[in-house]
Amino acid sequence: MAQITGRRPRALATGGSEGLGGAFVELLLASGYDVVSVDRNAPPAASMAVGIICDLADRVALDRNLDAIVAAGPYRLVLFNAGVSATGRFEAVPLEAYRRLVAVNTEAPMVLASALVNADAVNGHLCFVSSLSHFTGYPGAAVYAASKDALAAYAKSVRKPFAQRGVSVTVAYPGPLRTAHAARHAPPGASVERRTDPAAAARHIVGAALAGRAAVYSDARARMLALAGRLMPDLTIRAMRRVIFDRLDRDVW
Amino acid sequence: MKPNILITGATSGIGAALAARYAGRAELLLAGRMPELEAMPILPANAHYVVADQSAPEVAASNIMAALDLLGWESLDLAVLNAGSGWSGDPASEPAGSIRNTLEANLVAAIALAYGLSPLLSGGRLVLIGSTARRGAPLFASYAAAKAGLDGLARSLAEEWRGRTKVQVIHPGPVRTDIHAKAGFDPGRARRFFTSPETMARLLERALASRRSRRTISFPRYLAAAVTPWLR
Ligand SMILES: NC(=O)c1ccc[n+]([C@@H]2O[C@H](COP(=O)([O-])OP(=O)(O)OC[C@H]3O[C@@H](n4cnc5c(N)ncnc54)[C@H](OP(=O)(O)O)[C@@H]3O)[C@@H](O)[C@H]2O)c1
Repeated sequence: MAQITGRRPRALATGGSEGLGGAFVELLLASGYDVVSVDRNAPPAASMAVGIICDLADRVALDRNLDAIVAAGPYRLVLFNAGVSATGRFEAVPLEAYRRLVAVNTEAPMVLASALVNADAVNGHLCFVSSLSHFTGYPGAAVYAASKDALAAYAKSVRKPFAQRGVSVTVAYPGPLRTAHAARHAPPGASVERRTDPAAAARHIVGAALAGRAAVYSDARARMLALAGRLMPDLTIRAMRRVIFDRLDRDVW
Repeated sequence: MKPNILITGATSGIGAALAARYAGRAELLLAGRMPELEAMPILPANAHYVVADQSAPEVAASNIMAALDLLGWESLDLAVLNAGSGWSGDPASEPAGSIRNTLEANLVAAIALAYGLSPLLSGGRLVLIGSTARRGAPLFASYAAAKAGLDGLARSLAEEWRGRTKVQVIHPGPVRTDIHAKAGFDPGRARRFFTSPETMARLLERALASRRSRRTISFPRYLAAAVTPWLR
């Protein structure tokens, strides 16, 4: 059973049981952190992370677990990583799924960040995992794009006020990663090899968060795509429509 | 035939000014959270009104859908989702309830409305009222988040619905309305530099004619409007 010893620095990651979150947890454990993972699933059996099991879409559950999450701190690093998606035509996905999506991707990290900082449970760095869609839009996942834009704007808003309390705030904008989540929502025939390895993205993002940088991309390619989205928003979103929306053969949520 | 127009948050500020502007030229369905008796004196004569408190997004959306049904409108030429509210203060002390309500009333309600209105908007136009705060606003963190969410929703939907429904997000800069006081914020002397709701309504109508899916209406445009009063 994993134990918090009190001597090692502590980190908190939401959605730490798989994908990018799993990579964060492994990296931090290997770097000598005690790690708390808040997830609806327990951490893998072999993992040394402490799991707090909580469905972040469930307000009552989150409120019930808040004290325990605060008490397991103070944290040197907090990674708001948990995210879900819904892909398909906007009208084809049930509204209920959109609600869950906004709750997990936007509301829960905002509620957690505010509670943690207010309780002085962070003595270092916060990192909000947004998405590269912040710079491009996302036809075929409009509410996902909305949820990630909202999270990025929240992070940008709190950067100064939280700095006054000694907490840095970083927004991460990962592009396509080689995770089960991404594969589930990708159109058929989308190439997997060109996706970034989650372990590499995790190293990059954690480095930037610990350095207190305002923004970080998953890799150089993501950075280029963000630039394209900024300089040529119309062309970029049209291209995204062609490679994603027009090729979607199923609705997934 | 007059166009059918829906405006939410029409009981005050920008929404009320926009409704007054369209009165007589359009059939209006106006939405707000206050009871009908209270709203009547504020709204233009002949406008229809529906109570839709966006703190409960699904209820608000279904009230509006029911009102459209009752009016027998089979299509909407324009829907302006303008209702909005925020909380102001140190983001670390924002209560969870306020974070949640700000996201619900501004963002989730717009999602629920876009979802419900979608079939009626074929050939029409959906306009989301954002805010320049979407770029980040330390004293309005949850509001900035919700408004950025509207931006992401609109940019993506504009592409998804291209050729069927025109989708726009318009980000106003500061306007002299009660929204700041309702959020617990006093803009102080800066308020003098805010534009009037009437000028904003005029600039909004102009922005609606633009091709672009995202428009910002802030100080440079306020200035241009001030020196071109004949462009009504
Ligand atoms: N004023 C600015 O500086 C500014 C700048 C950028 C963007 N905006 C945006 O412009 C829009 C209009 O704002 P405004 O300045 O005209 O503010 P306002 O005068 O306070 O009007 C807001 C309208 O939205 C309604 N509303 C608020 N919360 C609601 C809820 N939960 N359910 C249903 N209706 C609700 C209000 O109802 P009540 O009359 O009952 O309060 C009112 O009709 C908002 O989306 C705002 O975010 C304003």
